Amino acid sequence: MSWTLKINGMLQSFEPSPELSTLGDLLEHLQIEQTAVVAEVDGQIVLRQDFDKTPLRDGQSIELIRFVGGG
Amino acid sequence: MSALVIADRQFQSRLFVGTGKFASASVMAEALRAAGTEMVTVALRRVDIRNPADDMLAAIDRSRYQLLPNTSGARDAAEAIRLARLARAASGIHWIKLEVTPDPYYLLPDGTETLKAAETLVREGFTVLPYIHADPVLAKRLQEVGCAAVMPLASPIGSNQGLRTRDCISIILEQASVPVVVDAGLGAPSHAAEAMEMGADAVLVNTAIATASDPVRMAAAFRQAVEAGRSAYEAGLPPRSTAAQASSPLTGFLRDD
Repeated sequence: MSWTLKINGMLQSFEPSPELSTLGDLLEHLQIEQTAVVAEVDGQIVLRQDFDKTPLRDGQSIELIRFVGGG
Repeated sequence: MSALVIADRQFQSRLFVGTGKFASASVMAEALRAAGTEMVTVALRRVDIRNPADDMLAAIDRSRYQLLPNTSGARDAAEAIRLARLARAASGIHWIKLEVTPDPYYLLPDGTETLKAAETLVREGFTVLPYIHADPVLAKRLQEVGCAAVMPLASPIGSNQGLRTRDCISIILEQASVPVVVDAGLGAPSHAAEAMEMGADAVLVNTAIATASDPVRMAAAFRQAVEAGRSAYEAGLPPRSTAAQASSPLTGFLRDD
């Protein structure tokens, strides 16, 4: 059964697997470089060093955020 | 030129530079060097998960520049606090340029929400630099709740109109006990020099540099203007008068009457 996650406001479906079970796996799957990113899972900030320890679950709301140019 | 001290940090440069709107990361990096700046602002945004771009931070030499993340995009205190916490988590930096701009047309800051957010963020250990309208009363209130500086606007963000709030900024300068950084709307080096001559502690410039035909030369021009303005302030500008005050002697004219 596939899972639906809301990532940066967009609903995305995934087949959970041992290779795609943590936030770190998700970033790899999306080809997002981890060093530049901070995440929020269901409103809670997740630090980079905890990405691989943060399990994905069906229905989670995930925000992936990075620095951009700004004034 | 004397050094600028904000919170626990000393800066030789009084020109802060924003990193938005540059055509490329390499032009930005070169412009930062030409500006001689030690403080650069950055924003936080969602990653475009369909097209994750390169890491823009990689182009900023963190050993040379203090990063000042902003809360741009926040429409109220809660959104600004959330962005500040994320910025600290992402960078380990507890400095924050607090901006709350509910109106997307003029991007003028909401003083009530800014004060509310500032109180919370100071309590959480942030070094808070709030972006405000040139409101001397609000500037004092923010200072009282522990903000490390205040950043009154010269004119709307990115408008290049220059120091339209001059009279109120001079009241803020007269009353403030924290550094005053004139931010937003400075569209030419002369505008920056004017703010510095008045006694502003620093200025923040982004659009005028980033969108110039030659951003690197413009960054250098702003550097010179800021240094000239500060030096003039420290040298002490002479008083103005309505009538002329002759520069040449008023005796020994080549006439008999």
